Amino acid sequence: MERIETTIAPRVGTAASGGEQDEVDLIPVRTYWQLVRQRFLAHRLAVIALFTMSTLVALALIVPTLTGEAYAKTSLSQSMLPPSLAHPLGTNQIGQDMFLRLMKGLQTSLIIGFMSVGIIGLIGVTLGSISGFYGGKIDNLIMRFVDVVLSLPVFFVILMIVAVLGKGSAAVVIIAIGLTGWTLACRLVRAEFLKLREADFVQAGRALGASSRRIISRHILPASLAPVVVAATLGIADSVVAEASLSFLGFGISPPEASLGNLLKNFDEDLQVRPWLLIPPAVTIVLVVLSASFLGDGLRDALDPRQRVESK
Amino acid sequence: MATYVLRRLIQAVPILIGISVISFLIIQLAPGDPTDRFRSGRVSPETIANLIRMYGLDKPLPEQFISWFTTFWTFPWNVAAWGYSFVDGRPVVEKIFDRIPFTLELMVTSLIVTMIVSIPLGVLAAVRQYSWADKIITTMATIGYALPSFVLGILLLYIFSIKLNLFPSFGRQSLGQEGNLPDLMWHLFLPVCALAIQQIAAWSRYMRSSMLEVLQQDYVRTARAKGLPGSKVLYKHALKNALLPVITLLGLSLPSLLAGAAITESIFSWPGLGYLAVQSVTTNDFPTILAIVMMGGMMVILGNLLADVLYGLVDPRIKY
Repeated sequence: MERIETTIAPRVGTAASGGEQDEVDLIPVRTYWQLVRQRFLAHRLAVIALFTMSTLVALALIVPTLTGEAYAKTSLSQSMLPPSLAHPLGTNQIGQDMFLRLMKGLQTSLIIGFMSVGIIGLIGVTLGSISGFYGGKIDNLIMRFVDVVLSLPVFFVILMIVAVLGKGSAAVVIIAIGLTGWTLACRLVRAEFLKLREADFVQAGRALGASSRRIISRHILPASLAPVVVAATLGIADSVVAEASLSFLGFGISPPEASLGNLLKNFDEDLQVRPWLLIPPAVTIVLVVLSASFLGDGLRDALDPRQRVESK
Repeated sequence: MATYVLRRLIQAVPILIGISVISFLIIQLAPGDPTDRFRSGRVSPETIANLIRMYGLDKPLPEQFISWFTTFWTFPWNVAAWGYSFVDGRPVVEKIFDRIPFTLELMVTSLIVTMIVSIPLGVLAAVRQYSWADKIITTMATIGYALPSFVLGILLLYIFSIKLNLFPSFGRQSLGQEGNLPDLMWHLFLPVCALAIQQIAAWSRYMRSSMLEVLQQDYVRTARAKGLPGSKVLYKHALKNALLPVITLLGLSLPSLLAGAAITESIFSWPGLGYLAVQSVTTNDFPTILAIVMMGGMMVILGNLLADVLYGLVDPRIKY
């Protein structure tokens, strides 16, 4: 926190209006979103992370779309080639181009990561808002349920779900990660709801005769989304790692499909002769995780409306 | 103290029941029913019907749950309590208790290494805040935290086992070296590193912020003001208090430690619980997976309990 406040960048919000440096800024008129942008841009690592993440997402969207099914094309005459111009990352044992597989794998992993986070958000926000809004017995019940889920050996449970519902299916992986990962989002939303439940604008809504459902969805929820966005961003990192771990163990996405985890699956034999196959996927996973967590940190600082940017 | 531990144990019961219900329900989602693997031309439908009646599979789900749950807790004296493995027909209780010592060996060693390394690192980073040492430690911790355990495992395997040929790449003991401690340590080295590095990353970050907070406290300033030597202030006043919240980490890091163990054990063929879990998923050995999840749940609950009790022991402000 302190670090952020000491390294504030020049005010971006007003610099954009241009040519008015001499104006004495007694009452800075800045909207919430201007403040958010300003605080986010002051967070250097978060900006780099945003750039990295956007690049990764763009690559994952564009390359596999342009090259179609080429990532699965095998060619025995071109097997085990070291990196070259034609194959920037070399080829694997059955002659598949590793660059195309990496891009396809990145796409698969990101899609699974985002979709798992969608489930996490859905469950977390629903249970968290019910819990925080109604309080009392319902809150108690939901919080005890959260306690139970927190005591689960999460990865073993994910393994069990995958074993029961079927190995090698992207949908099962998404469900398994989503069902086990929602506790943080739930607790954050609940805390916001407990805080905002008695706020004036909620009282006003009640006085005007709004239904509980309307108050939850129209009044409190939009005001409490900041922690959800942060939790979701951080959740992407966890979900991508969980998916990669599952695919690495052979329970997630399996060849001929590609995912960041299953590219590393043949590490035993690859390590002996073709270590270059392992470095790009490993680096990509670390990049995804790092940029998601820095992005989350930056958003946490930026979205918090109580944290003001000092003018001087 | 004893009553506190007892009360905490009683509080753990509903959580254990919750874990059991969730695990039981997940296993129910498995396609087909448990007698499917006996169905073949040679087994008559009457035998199948008998099996279904014998195992109570025709009873309503809650009743099935209660009979499973009550049998499950007889494991200390009943070797059949967790059923028999679908793969080799061995009692699951035996299979699991064979593996637990090896997993504990790996996890406890990693935790000890984690504490020995991360606490001094965290303290150093906090005391010399914003120095080069702090920047390096914080950066390394961030990268270590972002490295998934399987990537780390492969990396270590490649550098230390294949390139430098310093450590073995798999197993717990060399052939014919059973019970030889140096040989065991030699095999333990890489898996422990793989497991500990992630924990060290998390712990040293935590230790740093905890220490930073304590260093700003009034009593630290008072200690300095009355002329105590810096080292005494640091170790007697600050460190002791900064260590308190770290104890909670002991309990909190168990789920991630278990997850890390599953992957690390698979990479290094370490014969522990995690490797067994992965093998059981590969072979669809449902009774074993179910028991491992329950076992993992118990470990997490016990770990949290242990952390709470320890916290109470070292923090005089906490009364029972």
